[in-house]
Amino acid sequence: MPRLPNTSPQTLRVLALLLESPRSWHYGYALSQLTGLKSGTLYPILLRLADQGWLETRWAEPEQPGRPPRHTYRLTGAGAKTARTKLAEAAPSRMTRRLAPVPGSR
Amino acid sequence: MQMHGSLGRLADGLARQLLSWLQRRVEPGSREWLDALTAESECADDGWQRLRWALGGVPLVWTINQRRQRNEPTRGTMRALIVPGVANIAAIAGWYAVIIPAIYGATHLFRCHLFFGNEPGGCQEHPFVFSAIAIGGAVLGMIIALALRARFAAYWWAVFAAFNTVGSVWYLRSGIVDLPRYGATQSTMLMAATLGVVLAAIMRETPGTEPDHGPSFLGRHRITAHLIAGMISFAMADALIRMRDRSLVADNVNHYALLGCAMFAAILAGLIRRHHRIPVERPL
Repeated sequence: MPRLPNTSPQTLRVLALLLESPRSWHYGYALSQLTGLKSGTLYPILLRLADQGWLETRWAEPEQPGRPPRHTYRLTGAGAKTARTKLAEAAPSRMTRRLAPVPGSR
Repeated sequence: MQMHGSLGRLADGLARQLLSWLQRRVEPGSREWLDALTAESECADDGWQRLRWALGGVPLVWTINQRRQRNEPTRGTMRALIVPGVANIAAIAGWYAVIIPAIYGATHLFRCHLFFGNEPGGCQEHPFVFSAIAIGGAVLGMIIALALRARFAAYWWAVFAAFNTVGSVWYLRSGIVDLPRYGATQSTMLMAATLGVVLAAIMRETPGTEPDHGPSFLGRHRITAHLIAGMISFAMADALIRMRDRSLVADNVNHYALLGCAMFAAILAGLIRRHHRIPVERPL
């Protein structure tokens, strides 16, 4: 039976972490560290969520001079609502780790 | 400790090269997500971590390009698929329809059999005629394919142009005294030529995707790049033949044949240019 969109364990893990602080902006590297997902798994998930309007993105100024601007992410209102529903439907064991918000991103 | 540091720097360099190479695989208007991944790679603590992070760019680029293809208008996509497809089929099948009758015509004209062994009355009694048909046919096929803008067909004929040329030179030099051994080498020669063409084709940059800081190493040193492609192809094919049949390795002619096929094919493939497409800025 085909799986419903955005219900893979990896996507649910990302959604759960983003939902921890839905109004904060999160960096890709921090998301990868906290979810344990490799960049090649994480970024296609973020890209798909952004395409579906679940995620908003923003380029943030670098914290250190000479570094490139960084891409940051947070759930949209609709995204947060749908994510809560999806997570409620999913088994709680899938969401194992916690996400700390990016410092100073609120 | 010093060794560890050098390896870390090597991994760091590889990561940066990989990210730069990936940037060229994506059209400028679709690079946002790859730029995001590239910027985050600066957070990695060491070269190995950066390399692991950069490797994630490979599936990301695949996803980006898949999505771009899905978003293209269907009519344009269908046309973009059908027109080159027809041109490629025409350039391959059409040219076989010319070469095969030409070979049969030559056997009829010279009253010989279509047989390349050492038996009397075979094609080998007219080596220059049949070599000319084989080489000329492949080269002309490549030229016609290029005229039709059928790039796949041009690469196809480049493989056979290299293979037929080296095979003919070998035949004219020494004849085929041991047909079963020649058969094994022939397969490897074809593989070396194919690898040479494929590697050279992969190494070419798509116009409009050059990095902002100017042409890449491959763009600046095309001949070197194609020679490297040829050497890698030779090494791969030669390694294969060593594993398969050690007795063939004893004969230097096999090495020269493989080297010739791989290098010639890579150089020929380097002559096949990509059609310049004006990059279209389209939302992902």
